[in-house]
Amino acid sequence: MKRASATASVLLLILALMGFVLAGGVSAQPKTELTVALSSFSTEVLDPPLGGHLVKYYLSMIFDYLVGTTPDGQPSRDGGLATRWENSPDYKRWTFYLRKNVKFHNGDEVTSEDVKFSLQRNIGKRSTTGYAGPLRTLIQDIETPAPDRVVIVTKEPTLIIPTYLSRSLSTEGMVTPKKYIESVGDDVFARKPIGSGPYKFVEQVTGSHIKLAAVDNHWRIGTPKYKTMTFRLVPEEATRIALLRRGEVDVADVSRERVKELEKEGFPLHYRREEALLTMWWVLGPDGRTGPTKDKRVREALNLALDRAEIAQSIFAGRAEPAAIPLGLSWSFKEVGFKQTPDMLYPYDPARAKKLLADAGVGSGMSLDVYAYQLPGLPEGKTMAEAVAGYWEKIGIKTKLIPVDYPAFRKAWFDRSVPGAVGYFNIANRDWIGAYALLEKQAYTPSKPSDTVNDPEIDGMLSQVMRQTDKDKINTLIRGVYARLRSEHHGVPVVYLHSPYATSKTLGNWNPGSVMYDLFLDVLASGK
Amino acid sequence: MLRFIATRLVQSLVALAIVSVVVFVLARATGDPLYLILPMSASQEDFDNARRYLGLDRPYVEQYLSFVGRAVTGDFGISLRARRPVGELIRERLPNSLKLAAFAMGVSLAMAFPLGIMAAVRKGTGVDRAAQIVSVLGQSLPTFWVAIILVEFVAGRWQWLPAGGISGFSSYILPGFTLGWFVVAGLMRLLRSGMLEVLDSEYVKLARVKGVSERRVIWMHALRNALIPVVTFAGIYFAILVTTAIVVETVFAWPGLGRLAYEGISSRDFPVIQAVVLTTAAIVAVVNLGVDCLYAIIDPRIRYAR
Repeated sequence: MKRASATASVLLLILALMGFVLAGGVSAQPKTELTVALSSFSTEVLDPPLGGHLVKYYLSMIFDYLVGTTPDGQPSRDGGLATRWENSPDYKRWTFYLRKNVKFHNGDEVTSEDVKFSLQRNIGKRSTTGYAGPLRTLIQDIETPAPDRVVIVTKEPTLIIPTYLSRSLSTEGMVTPKKYIESVGDDVFARKPIGSGPYKFVEQVTGSHIKLAAVDNHWRIGTPKYKTMTFRLVPEEATRIALLRRGEVDVADVSRERVKELEKEGFPLHYRREEALLTMWWVLGPDGRTGPTKDKRVREALNLALDRAEIAQSIFAGRAEPAAIPLGLSWSFKEVGFKQTPDMLYPYDPARAKKLLADAGVGSGMSLDVYAYQLPGLPEGKTMAEAVAGYWEKIGIKTKLIPVDYPAFRKAWFDRSVPGAVGYFNIANRDWIGAYALLEKQAYTPSKPSDTVNDPEIDGMLSQVMRQTDKDKINTLIRGVYARLRSEHHGVPVVYLHSPYATSKTLGNWNPGSVMYDLFLDVLASGK
Repeated sequence: MLRFIATRLVQSLVALAIVSVVVFVLARATGDPLYLILPMSASQEDFDNARRYLGLDRPYVEQYLSFVGRAVTGDFGISLRARRPVGELIRERLPNSLKLAAFAMGVSLAMAFPLGIMAAVRKGTGVDRAAQIVSVLGQSLPTFWVAIILVEFVAGRWQWLPAGGISGFSSYILPGFTLGWFVVAGLMRLLRSGMLEVLDSEYVKLARVKGVSERRVIWMHALRNALIPVVTFAGIYFAILVTTAIVVETVFAWPGLGRLAYEGISSRDFPVIQAVVLTTAAIVAVVNLGVDCLYAIIDPRIRYAR
């Protein structure tokens, strides 16, 4: 009797489970919903000055930018609130003409007062976007001579204003509703954001998802194909892929390792090619370069010792390209006219590397600390560091791998407490303005503590760029910077990383674009 | 009994106070959260502004007193990462963890009780050996491995159950089973050994001699006495399941307390770390007190002395 009841309870449990299995089978994703599964949401804050420096995917749906950008990073009069802009002859007054009849999601009309309010807020001291500082220094005043006109007055002549306020960089150019924010305050706004973008905020469960609903007919994308857009935070890759297989998500970021398997199953893979530059550098000492890496021959040797093609193939599953220019963000090359020639690529030449070390009087006595850490978008970080250390060991350098987390290295780097030590980052690729902003931080001596180069000639070139109003001269200066970074071997560029995104088999064509931290999902959803 | 409860409450408060100091110090020992919040292009001015805005420029003693002063009113401050009240984040996530833990515990008890009892009653038979295999596997297979295998095959390839997130009852099954299997193993072994000990005792023999049915002997006499260690284990493990299911919550994209803790630690979100640790400590204290009180109900011989 007792055996029968125990058996019966086990059988009941199994039947109940089977019931849920059968009931919970695959359901086809309705075509009116787009679901994106991401491994990280950055800060999960939906307020532009606080949330945009790593992930703009959902912010770009909720908010419009003052200046639009095409998916390949060019300023666009079609994609932003400004239908056109012009500069004064002295390049100190930038006038933006606003699109008419654009409304926020609460029905309020977008006016120049909102633009002024947004810009002041986005570049204020509360901002964590990283580009607010230069704009704060540069902008003298913001005038609103008419509801559809904004004039930005700068202290110095400059070309950077439209790009800095565009979608191609961070979130400084996102426009938010003045009246609403002043009435509810920053904290409520961050939890219930209102913008003028093609999708309005519906709900956010931190750690889980952000759900947006389409605006019926938006000037940016017309009547959208997807009535809702949901961003799901799914840290584990196996789970993201399982969701894709089950049809529960339409887009998922995947690792390079799983690409072949997904391609075999027929899932389309879309790449953001050269999305990031994986580059290494030596931490400077309090007064600049120290130790053996002061010698250019040593720096060149450390570059020649790496087999970048093998690294790209074996560590990054072939989804990477060897890089040649330290801090060289390739999405800016075309704009500034910089041509990377084949001779700029470092060959794998350990014999020549050893000779250079010997010529520099270093021989086998040199030691290097190599910090090893993971980074968002770079799960292969530690493996790469180990591989590079191995290559350097082969040319006689004693390397010591120091596993830390990135913030610990960053502190040591900024404090300059470990001169000569090696660190790295997967720097998001970007256009010329973004590239200049990065160079101004990492290749410019006055930018202590983040400088990694300490080269007076490069300092001279960079100091001229910000105030230069002749684009040809700017291009010449930036080309000069790249050329010198390469010729002086101011760093170890490893590879450009291609980032794969797997999509459902029914999604159709999608260009994820080549703009920093953006996926152009609005273009995917466009009904135009 | 009331005096016992009051004493335990005071002890718990002292423990929480100590925990608050320890977590405050240890969280700040991990480093500066601004290196994670601010991008690479941030200037020194950006760092100074952020430090001031987030209150991280105040002296540590002032930060601690401010934290404790607000914590006693249930205000744990604002998350550095999410910029939302931490209390709100915990209120959002704790029920998810409680539900998952309750489901996992339910699964564990539903499996462990019949298995443990059958293993004891049928000691040495195939049933007993099968139960022991389940127990060994449950305790030796790493949770993260089980979770990923279930996601990869049961959800992804065979598509029998949802892969992640909360979306109805069926979404509880895989994470609940993953969490619960380890507990089944422990519960079953405790129950089996407890039952074996009790079934061999004199009063059970007497009950049989008196003609009491075997069913009644097992369920009314033996089981009740074998329950005390099982109740302790189940209670402690429920608290552990609620507060530390980090791996399961991460693999199954379950927005619970464990993941909140992980997100807080990896982003050096001090208010979140402090709040989650204090909440965890409070849950463990409450559960332990509840378990102790349950003893007195299960076993009338247990009374808490004056």
